Amino acid sequence: MTLLLQYVANGLAAGSLYALVALGIVLLYRCSRVLNFAHGDLATLGVFFAFSGLTRGWPYGLALLGGLAGAAAVSAAFYRLLIKPVRQATALSLVITTLGFALFLSGVMVWVWGTDTKVFPFPLSEVRVFRLGGVVVSELTAGSLAVGLVLVAGLSALVQRTRLGLAMRAVAQNPVAAQLLGVPAGQVLAATWAVAGALGAAAGMLLAPAVLLDPFMMLDPFLKGFAAAVLGGMDSLPGAVAGGLILGLAESVFAGYVSVKYKATLSFVVIVAVLLVRPEGLLGRPFHRRV
Amino acid sequence: MRTAAWLCAVVLLALPLSTGAQERGVTADEVVIGTSMPLSGPAAYWGAVGRGMEAYARYLNDQGGIHGRRLRVVVRDDSYLPPRAAANVRELVERVGVFAIVGLIGTANAFAVRDYIVRNEVVWISPTADATIWYGFRDKKYLFVTYPSYVEEAKILVDYAARQLGAKSIAVFYQNDLYGQKGLLGAKQGAARSRVRITAQVPYEVTQADVSSEAVKLRESRADAVLLYATPRHGALIVREMAKIGYTPKLLSSFTLGDPIMFALAGEAWNGVISTGFFPLPGTGDSRVDEALAILTRVDPALRTNPFNALAGWAFMEPFVEGLRRAGRELTKERFVTAMESIRNWDGQVIRGVTFGPDRRQGTNRVFLTRAEGGRYTRLSDWISYPTGF
Repeated sequence: MTLLLQYVANGLAAGSLYALVALGIVLLYRCSRVLNFAHGDLATLGVFFAFSGLTRGWPYGLALLGGLAGAAAVSAAFYRLLIKPVRQATALSLVITTLGFALFLSGVMVWVWGTDTKVFPFPLSEVRVFRLGGVVVSELTAGSLAVGLVLVAGLSALVQRTRLGLAMRAVAQNPVAAQLLGVPAGQVLAATWAVAGALGAAAGMLLAPAVLLDPFMMLDPFLKGFAAAVLGGMDSLPGAVAGGLILGLAESVFAGYVSVKYKATLSFVVIVAVLLVRPEGLLGRPFHRRV
Repeated sequence: MRTAAWLCAVVLLALPLSTGAQERGVTADEVVIGTSMPLSGPAAYWGAVGRGMEAYARYLNDQGGIHGRRLRVVVRDDSYLPPRAAANVRELVERVGVFAIVGLIGTANAFAVRDYIVRNEVVWISPTADATIWYGFRDKKYLFVTYPSYVEEAKILVDYAARQLGAKSIAVFYQNDLYGQKGLLGAKQGAARSRVRITAQVPYEVTQADVSSEAVKLRESRADAVLLYATPRHGALIVREMAKIGYTPKLLSSFTLGDPIMFALAGEAWNGVISTGFFPLPGTGDSRVDEALAILTRVDPALRTNPFNALAGWAFMEPFVEGLRRAGRELTKERFVTAMESIRNWDGQVIRGVTFGPDRRQGTNRVFLTRAEGGRYTRLSDWISYPTGF
């Protein structure tokens, strides 16, 4: 039983990070119908901004905020300068634009920060642990879970309770009508990209102390976040969270009791299965095309 | 009229050059070599080997090159993916036109390009791949190997765990590709020889970020010792993860993790790890290796953060450079092969004890044991030899 609980704890910890990544992907997809393959690299860039701040002796909070702001700014600039001009293009062109940007960003990171693996300093320790019964949870894991939940709550408050959130939802539902009613769709979308970028960077900063920092750190978490988004429903924010947690749990328990060798494959099996059985995802709305 | 005269002059000048430059990748003042390695992707850390090779070439060129020829190293990125390595090698041979391939990181990648290189009779020096992929393989005339065998290394490590550490059971944490699988194979063979049980075989994918369930799996095996065949990053992560959940077995690792960066990545948990080495490590009292590192970091200061891989780059290229020296100014493939075959018990500045011959292509067959202590590696044994396979 303790063993199962340990796998569950590990799964939830990983899942909360998948959820944060998935949230950024879903937020953008809902609002601008763009599948952003540069999300992971934007997140890593934010972490490197924070890392540079820390190595220059900035106070901790300032460096982290700097990282978040930097990722938000680059994300918004990406929308303004690249995505907006090609928005009328096909979905495929948009995906390729984001893929190109992802390659560009990883190239820049290799050039500026090098490829060697770095330790990202963090106030919470990965080695100091809490023991609950026989289940071991590190300070860092507990902390990321808590911060992850706070961020999810914050995002849902932003979307549901604020004027910006209302505008985001309006633009997501019908951009033309929203614009006719005086919503500055361009600015709202840029803000959405900024929020998504910052969210990704936050996930990256929680992940970096646990998995070590290098320019390709988000490769796997991004794919998992993407799988989580598909699982939960590409247009559902609660779905992204549920998808992330379920995927994290499933991976961990699968590795524990079925096969550790095929653990990495599980998320792709999940994508295929969801697309076959319920393409809209667990909490997504079915997509109907009207003639 | 003037243009015609110029053209004539250019053609006449080029004539002696073109007759002297019949060998691919060799001109009057240049030798071109190529390599493929991960400069991006999850194993990009190892890409510093290429940078080390370039720095070493620049150092040699600054001294006038070899027999008046400068060395040009063409490095291609394969992201640690075998299909891209195959494409890179084709490009290097057919388009860039290299004289030789030097290095080429990854056992799976080397395996993927093996047939192409051998079929096209391309000179290939020091593939960075488990040496046993050449056992029983024919037509190795242009191949010269100086990289150890993971299989033999794992046997030596398991032997040590059984005899010196008193381990009765061993678990293996390995990368799920040819690199890790060769380590696992060696561990199994070593375990059979030393009467040790392998209680768990836990693989991971090189792209994987989280290894927490793998750590729990290893703990559940209750093995006395855990053997690691991983990237530095995954090695550090699994060791930290095991320490976190209160599992502290004896640790052994491949020489690929005998890198000083492990102390930074894994912290305290890395102390006590038994590993091996195939060239003397910097800062362990070998002045020639220390001098080589000083040269590399002077030429390319960015290599300071990655001394181990920088030196590995030097070590892979050194036998090739020795072959060039011995082949003389009239460089052809055949003369180069004859020159390489004359290398006997040769000590380079970094790589030591290399022997080739008409029937011998495995240039080195030995490693030594190290122990990680207090943030550095100390040498634990003299060279341990294993039988040459080819």
